[in-house]
Amino acid sequence: MAVFDYAPAIAVLPLAAFALALFGGRYLPKRGAIAGIAATGGSLVLSLWMLVTIALGADPHQQTLYTFVAGADGVASVDLSFGIFIDQLSALMLVIVSLISLLVHVFSLGYMNDEGETGLPRYYAGLGLFTFSMLAFVFSDNLLMSFMFFELVGLCSFLLIGFWFRDDAPSSAAKKAFLVTRFGDYFFLIGVVAVFATFGTTAFVGEESFIAMAEHAMPGSEAAVPGVVSDWLGVVGLSASQWFTVVGLLVLGGVIGKSAQFPLHTWLPDAMEGPTPVSALIHAATMVAAGVYLVARMYGFYALSPTALGIIALVGGFTALFAATMALVKQELKQVLAYSTISQYGYMMLALGGGGYVAAVFHLTTHAAFKALLFLGAGSVIIAMHHNENMWDMGGLKDRMPVTYATFLAGSLALAGVFPFAGFWSKDEVLFETLIHGLGSTGGTLLLLGYAFGLLAVVFTALYTFRMVLLTFHGDARTDTAEDPEPVRWNVKLPLAVLGVLATVVGVINLGAVKKIIGESNLFLHEWLFHGAEGLNGEHYEELLHDFAGYTAAELPGGPLAPAAVSLGLALVGVGLAYRLYGGADPDPHMLKLGSVRTTLMNNYYLDEFQVWLAMSVTAPVARVADTFDQGIVDGVVNGISSVSLLSGDRFREIQTGIVTNYAALLTLGLTLLVLVFALAGGWF
Amino acid sequence: MAIQPQFYLLLSAGVFCAGLFGVLTRSNALMFLMSVELMLNAANINFVAFSFYYGNVTGQVFSLFVMGLAAAEVAVGIGIILVLYRNFGDIDVTGPVTMRR
Repeated sequence: MAVFDYAPAIAVLPLAAFALALFGGRYLPKRGAIAGIAATGGSLVLSLWMLVTIALGADPHQQTLYTFVAGADGVASVDLSFGIFIDQLSALMLVIVSLISLLVHVFSLGYMNDEGETGLPRYYAGLGLFTFSMLAFVFSDNLLMSFMFFELVGLCSFLLIGFWFRDDAPSSAAKKAFLVTRFGDYFFLIGVVAVFATFGTTAFVGEESFIAMAEHAMPGSEAAVPGVVSDWLGVVGLSASQWFTVVGLLVLGGVIGKSAQFPLHTWLPDAMEGPTPVSALIHAATMVAAGVYLVARMYGFYALSPTALGIIALVGGFTALFAATMALVKQELKQVLAYSTISQYGYMMLALGGGGYVAAVFHLTTHAAFKALLFLGAGSVIIAMHHNENMWDMGGLKDRMPVTYATFLAGSLALAGVFPFAGFWSKDEVLFETLIHGLGSTGGTLLLLGYAFGLLAVVFTALYTFRMVLLTFHGDARTDTAEDPEPVRWNVKLPLAVLGVLATVVGVINLGAVKKIIGESNLFLHEWLFHGAEGLNGEHYEELLHDFAGYTAAELPGGPLAPAAVSLGLALVGVGLAYRLYGGADPDPHMLKLGSVRTTLMNNYYLDEFQVWLAMSVTAPVARVADTFDQGIVDGVVNGISSVSLLSGDRFREIQTGIVTNYAALLTLGLTLLVLVFALAGGWF
Repeated sequence: MAIQPQFYLLLSAGVFCAGLFGVLTRSNALMFLMSVELMLNAANINFVAFSFYYGNVTGQVFSLFVMGLAAAEVAVGIGIILVLYRNFGDIDVTGPVTMRR
């Protein structure tokens, strides 16, 4: 297929923009922004082309581009390579990433260039590299390549969060983001090595891929167990399902770090120190989405292990609720959005763990649209407010910035899950899938627990979202800046308008809640993901979930309508509560009444303090003991040996007088002694 | 009647001890060299005595080699002494200890 020959260019274009901005940004128009826009625009066009080609019936495309380590023939060896894999899932994700990246580039013209920031070539170079890494991560055809670009994504987030590196807060936030995600990536790395050791390959695609081999190695599978896998299982002494659970959980470590799931979510709120367009990029399309995407990419592997799925669901559900509570009390606009991101990615993890592969990808898609919209809207407000982010200093902005208000409202309704905005359809599908699998499966208690968390989080989500909207846009202006905000230009309004439309209508791709009415075949995303590559499509995943994880979907009497009504009702309760509390012209800070609860929430449940304590009081002493052992025992043995030889050498060199006579005397003495010894031994006397 | 070989050996031991005594006690490099010559010649006496005793010329031939070797050694030794004198203004062997340690 000729069209797929252009696939590498999707990632290479932003890389070229990166190089251009880095080396020639000073001489480029708009300091490299135009190059970035052109490159991401090109990527978007190519991605859409891929999407359309596959939609018109082309087979998924896998191609190895470059093998940097080739294993010797005939021996148990591994190939390390870069390759691309374009299927339904990755084509969709490529479109999302390049679209969001393009809009973020355009928005940056308003947020960075018009505000007279310095260091813009560095900024656009960072955006280009970020987009490149994420796109390459998305179409990578093996786990090792995924890992490499996963790390590169982490590096780019470090560079961009710390963009204003002359201040203390951004540089420390950048370090925190890097280190916390690195902690998770460490487990991911071990997981990659474990996959290599078990299967001898990390490919995602085909009969020789590790996903297919894992399926064949499971007890109860009809295919023969691959020799390399059974050999390795003999080495570790675990059954196939136990070992795959271990490997899956190791890889999940990286996912939890990148997708900011409990307990590694602490980096994400701090990452708000970066420029707002970067936050939009990180939260909607690149960094944070990478974790969830990885689980979706190797879902065939996770579907084999009910334990891993249960943990994913529980972590996701808990994170969804946990982050939503913290968002309730925050005063900064971007902080609220940051916690809502953590919460929404919790929903995606809940869906993946709950057997809702399509639901997770659906929520990933809609979330990309409405969260990018909300962040860019927040950026617009921040421009207007002269970089004051405190919502209590805003108020009444809706009449002064109508475009921002209208689009922000659309994004908020989507986030809160109000009918008929995009978030309603996807969040409802997440909860519905979790519910039916929790009810229908033996051992579905974890899923039901996750479902309960998720349902409760719906109320909180609606409450904090509309608290944010009402405080920012409604009521009376509480400061002079809010009276007379700085106007924003087309380059801010255009991305907002595009995303506003998307956040409103993108739910159309999968109207799961009304599938009884419109018919199953009109669930476009469902159909789309169920016709993927051999062994890598939703239909196959459902079989795997049923055969190996014991997931069975329960039949609810009213179909998906009743659960949808429940979650919509809860969302409306949250919205109503927010309106009641903050709807007035001059709302009171009601959250202050929570007292110590508010203090705990403001301090993020003291998790940061706990992690610092963990580092200072547990890790540091252990490190100190290890250091003492290293310096004292290990180095001590070496030093002891050397000091013994030094000391004895010092003593022995005294006999080197330099006087010939003494040497002659010693020679004579030695000879005499030798003769005496021989004489005594030989019995001469 | 020929002299008993043990007398040659006694003579040789005496000459050797005289040489050894010279090496251990003298500090003049020339005396040193002479003492070494004495020790070599003590060995020569042994060679010749046993050669005579066994009626075999090998020992005598060997003693010729030893003499040649001694001559060569003296040539080297004298050279060393000359350098010693040039550098230290003296031929006292206990003097130059700059290379120790």
